[in-house]
Amino acid sequence: MEHSGSFLTFVSDHLNQFFTYTAFANVTSGHLIMICIGLIFIYLAIAKEYEPMLLIPIGFGILVGNIAFMPGLKIGIYESGSVLNYLYFGVLQGIYPPLIFLGIGAMTDFSALISNPKLMLIGAAAQLGIFGAYAIALLLGFSPSEAGAIGIIGGADGPTAIFLSSKLAPELLGAIAISAYSYMALVPVIQPPVMRLLTTKKERLIRMKPPRSVSKVEKVLFPIIGMLLTCFIVPSGLPLLGMLFFGNLLKESGVTKRLADTAKGPMIDIVTILIGLTVGASTQATTFLTAKSVGIFALGAASFVIATFGGVMFVKIINLFLKEGNKMNPLIGNAGVSAVPDSARVSQVVGLEYDKTNHLLMHAMGPNVAGVIGSAVAAGIILGFLS
Amino acid sequence: MKTIRNVIRKAAGCFILVLLILPGSIQAQSTRDLKINEILVLNDSNYVDDYGQHSAWIEIFNSAYNTVDIGGSYLTNDPLNPTKYFIPKGDPITQIAPRNYLVFFADNVPTRGILHLNFTLEETDYVAIYEGNGKKIIDAVKYGPQKPDVSYGRLTDGNHEWGFLEKTTPMANNFTGTVESAGEKFVEMDPYGVGMAVIAMSVVFAALILLYIVFKNTKRIYSINLKRMFCRECKKEPLEESLPGIEISGEVNAAIAMAIHLYISELHDHEEAILTIKKVSRTYSPWSSKIYGLRNHPR
Repeated sequence: MEHSGSFLTFVSDHLNQFFTYTAFANVTSGHLIMICIGLIFIYLAIAKEYEPMLLIPIGFGILVGNIAFMPGLKIGIYESGSVLNYLYFGVLQGIYPPLIFLGIGAMTDFSALISNPKLMLIGAAAQLGIFGAYAIALLLGFSPSEAGAIGIIGGADGPTAIFLSSKLAPELLGAIAISAYSYMALVPVIQPPVMRLLTTKKERLIRMKPPRSVSKVEKVLFPIIGMLLTCFIVPSGLPLLGMLFFGNLLKESGVTKRLADTAKGPMIDIVTILIGLTVGASTQATTFLTAKSVGIFALGAASFVIATFGGVMFVKIINLFLKEGNKMNPLIGNAGVSAVPDSARVSQVVGLEYDKTNHLLMHAMGPNVAGVIGSAVAAGIILGFLS
Repeated sequence: MKTIRNVIRKAAGCFILVLLILPGSIQAQSTRDLKINEILVLNDSNYVDDYGQHSAWIEIFNSAYNTVDIGGSYLTNDPLNPTKYFIPKGDPITQIAPRNYLVFFADNVPTRGILHLNFTLEETDYVAIYEGNGKKIIDAVKYGPQKPDVSYGRLTDGNHEWGFLEKTTPMANNFTGTVESAGEKFVEMDPYGVGMAVIAMSVVFAALILLYIVFKNTKRIYSINLKRMFCRECKKEPLEESLPGIEISGEVNAAIAMAIHLYISELHDHEEAILTIKKVSRTYSPWSSKIYGLRNHPR
């Protein structure tokens, strides 16, 4: 009898001990809030089809990262030696973003940009969002490195944001990445009101000349010259710009189809899965739910608005100097923020609202891909000044 | 054509000039990045070696951003004998991590290990490190009279300015004051981020304007007929009349490409077969034949 009593104590003790290891014993309200955010991401991705390739891995990553566990079992993403920690290494050391850029380069057609090179300047103007957010972040009391990392959200380029924040403010990486990808998904919501506010009906109806055809030689020269010029000016942007243009050369050379197919297919898919999951998992409630994260989200929204403002206003200013017939539709200005191809699609949709036959998509793709180059250059400059 | 040739000549000239000017500050990322960083000649009561002795020491700094192996190089205190002390190769201790240090003890007792040299620093007022060939100098320093327990070194690691240091710092930064990060220095000068916006936007614009200029003119440059430009006889021949500047738009090209694609894939609109509801004369088909019906018994 005594023996069975001690056995029951043994069982209950160990069940109690086991309970302390479960997430039920360790969960906090913060974890539950983060799990809800993860579920919202997954809902937006599946039901609304907002950036599903990114929001599903990130959303699920948030769920994974917010399972409350007993520390010390080498489970968490921040625990040295855990599997997630090994996968997170690629984010912390800035390995994944350049690989994603390689894939982006291999799938991007720069023809729209080459056929009308002045569209590149819109991509430069829209980077105003980065530096606007940087200035506001400084005013709000963020340190210079943090402000630089937050500012890059305005570039609307997830891999660039991850790359820069991993170098300047690794502790804010999760919040910055989540903010960047969230607003990229919300581009169709954020940008149209700003575009309508800044343009007149007459401007929205401007028809642009159809782009000229681009020869193969020009397409092959673009990544080579592009890499040399931009990286000579901003060598710190080399990991991103070098890979972007390399990927594009693989595509345009026409003789490395297999490599280009791998870069834009299986490789970018694998890296997207890893980066999405680990960035999502890095948002553990204990490190993520802070006043700083709220500030980062607010600044992210501001940076997208400023970037859209910069792009649209720049086109309006340039139009003052262009002859009638050569003028650009300011509705393509918003596409200067990267967010490829969502922001170009926004130009198209808003343009069609005012003229059912005025298709702006191809014109908007020019500043859109220039925005990718512009934000990578901007990241290089910030890195050069603040690291 | 003449102007284009002049432009090409000028561009080539500029390119060569840039090539000549540029290689001023190439980083070697090898033993050449090693610097003699700090020395303590008179060690009365300072840093002790692994034998508990107060010996003179030399701190070597790896200014590169990769690990550098000092093994195979030479240390000396005599300019006439550059190969005085050979640092053995293949020992893990000689691997200096990026931006890190290694201290050698100049105690003239080399039997105590590879970090103990076969000379002292009081013998001369010179110390140098030589490459493995014993000819090429990596770094050298000539020092005057020294103070006891006060080290003589570069005021900041790897920098060229030397002096007596406030604190001896073997295996540590020579500069012991508060180190401001690049970002903090930047914000001191530009607290509101206006300077950053102006500089960075200018650079982004400069980069993309350069790309714009290049690609505005790329088509013009690669369509130059070099053969014709440098061949005197060809110049006399009249140029073929090119078609008046008809710029075919991408849309037209797309339409032509689609038409060709449809033609090749035989997805043309006109079909040779005729679809009709009229009764056709030829009604027989093996499928409807009673001869081949399944109900028939096999013979």
